[in-house]
Amino acid sequence: MTDVTSTIRPAVGQASRKPGVTFVRLLYVYAVLFIVASIVLIPLVTTALGGFKTLGDLRTNPFGLPDMWQWQNYGDILFSERYWRMLWNSLFISVFTVVLTLAVAGMAAFTLAHIRFFGSGYLLNYFLLGLMFPVATAILPLFIRIRDLGLLDNPWGVILPQVAFGLGMSILLMRNFFRNVPQELFDAAFVDGCSYIRFFWSVTLPLSRPIIATVGIVAFVQSWNNYIIPLILLTSESNYPWPLGIMSYRGEYGTDWQLILAFITLTILPTIIVFFAAQKHIIAGLTAGAVKG
Amino acid sequence: MAKVSINNVRKFYGALEVIHGVSVEIENGEFVVLVGPSGCGKSTLLRMIAGLEAISDGTISVDGQVVNDVAPKERDIAMVFQNYALYPHMTVRENMGFSLKLRGSSKSEINAAVDKAAAILGLGPLLERVPRDLSGGQRQRVAMGRAIVRDPKVFLFDEPLSNLDAKLRVQMRTEVKDLHQRLSSTTVYVTHDQIEAMTMADKIVVMHDGIVEQVGAPLELYDRPKNMFVAGFLGSPAMNFIHGTYRAGDRPMLELADGQLVPIRPQASVADGTTVVLGIRPEDVVIDPQDGLSVRVSVIEPTGAETYMVARHGDAEIVCVLRERVVLNPGDTIRLSLASTSAHLFDVTTQLRLT
Ligand SMILES: Nc1ncnc2c1ncn2[C@@H]1O[C@H](COP(=O)(O)OP(=O)(O)O)[C@@H](O)[C@H]1O
Ligand SMILES: [Mg+2]
Repeated sequence: MTDVTSTIRPAVGQASRKPGVTFVRLLYVYAVLFIVASIVLIPLVTTALGGFKTLGDLRTNPFGLPDMWQWQNYGDILFSERYWRMLWNSLFISVFTVVLTLAVAGMAAFTLAHIRFFGSGYLLNYFLLGLMFPVATAILPLFIRIRDLGLLDNPWGVILPQVAFGLGMSILLMRNFFRNVPQELFDAAFVDGCSYIRFFWSVTLPLSRPIIATVGIVAFVQSWNNYIIPLILLTSESNYPWPLGIMSYRGEYGTDWQLILAFITLTILPTIIVFFAAQKHIIAGLTAGAVKG
Repeated sequence: MAKVSINNVRKFYGALEVIHGVSVEIENGEFVVLVGPSGCGKSTLLRMIAGLEAISDGTISVDGQVVNDVAPKERDIAMVFQNYALYPHMTVRENMGFSLKLRGSSKSEINAAVDKAAAILGLGPLLERVPRDLSGGQRQRVAMGRAIVRDPKVFLFDEPLSNLDAKLRVQMRTEVKDLHQRLSSTTVYVTHDQIEAMTMADKIVVMHDGIVEQVGAPLELYDRPKNMFVAGFLGSPAMNFIHGTYRAGDRPMLELADGQLVPIRPQASVADGTTVVLGIRPEDVVIDPQDGLSVRVSVIEPTGAETYMVARHGDAEIVCVLRERVVLNPGDTIRLSLASTSAHLFDVTTQLRLT
């Protein structure tokens, strides 16, 4: 984590010795960053501003500032019980999806990374096979299985499939990270009297914060934005997470787009906050795999 | 403290046999050095003692109890690794106390043991740091501290000094040796560096390609190597080997390929006309204008106390360490006496020393 900054610093120091090159490079870097930032920010800002407009204003002037700031759009949503209930449902589902994904994927990845047993290769491939199937293809068997388990219209009926679908990627990421824990650390721990479980708990996990943050965030965001699984498996509105909540703004004759945009802005907010909070770890987790001694 | 017996141990990786039946007795409190070139199986043997590798055949016992199927943590053995293997996220104190914590010792017991070990190794001021903030030598010392905190039956070291720079290595060598003298614990120390072996060991085990070539005290191996491998491996610069034919008589001679006859020390047991290899250490070669081997000087390196000289005789290169100052230049022709009483003859095919 701190390594990221320490590798950048000397590079900057080096470049400052040649002023001409620095300027061109800086210009280039800023241009690229600007473009990337725009791609991310324009839709976000448009959405947020759209929420302040009237429907007519939105139709004629989709990108500019609102004619009249309609604070009421946001106010109505924020003061509705419905918004908070859906946020709570989303949060409940996402948090348990993250916790379960981390627990199950972490242990599986540790086993697959460090213990050679008969069939471990097949088992890993079996998990990775899951990456090839989009959720939509499995939706009918999934529905039947969840119904048989009696989990229809129950948050756990959404959490469990989400964990299952997230396992492939999570195991892959975590296993690759765990494999970079030096073998000698293992040997030292065994001689010290560690068991596998104790090593996992006391050495692997503390060293794996970046990958845990990465996998956790990915699982959180996927769950937070998941539409199809809750759509199929939840039936009563009191159980809906927020992506389903949008539906109620679509009337028979027209859609209240300004309310949808305001609603989306308010529901995306938590994920943005979480992302900024964990940003450092995510970047380190995606770029670096090495554990430095 | 304990006695370790390694009895005809073998190790297979699949069909590949890397240890071919090794037997070594390690006495109570002894400092044994396993030495040999890279890849000869030293680490594998050490890891089998530690319980980190399965023993394919044979037995290893600690204090008479066979430990083949005993888990590492029940063997009561501590090991120091080449790359230190400190837990990066723990402070020095936590690193050193980890094994005691795993055994369920109380906080105060752990702290007392860690403080005691830290005092022995001079680690007191570093206890709250993390390994990242330590120098190589300090990390090495922490790794040793982690081992001694437990007061184990046996200490194992796997090339612990090879990541340090030359000066620090010499210093740590003394520290490890000091530590052993203080704790007088049974120690098995692996290195590929024969100087480390010579300076530190009570007993050296020379390994080569998965077998033990010779076991003995450092000077015993140095003075009476069993074969050409041990003779060439121990000592720096390495022993000179000169091929020739033994000519017995009142003044025994070595007849070289070009017909030159050079006097050597009498070898009662060697028959006249045997093809042999003469092994003579660089410091045993002396200049002898009368009837030595005639050579051409190719390199002269004065180091102050002594002078290194490389001389050639045909294809053979002879390295000498001369104690007295000599005036010589590359290209000079001189004569070298090979008649030292410390020179050995080796059988050309079995490579064993002839006595
Ligand atoms: N896990 C392994 N699988 C296969 N061969 C191995 C393995 N570990 C070591 N070896 C082989 O065993 C031999 C001895 O290795 P090692 O004990 O590490 O040598 P040393 O420590 O003396 O340098 C080497 O030839 C090495 O290639
Ligand atoms: Mg080795």
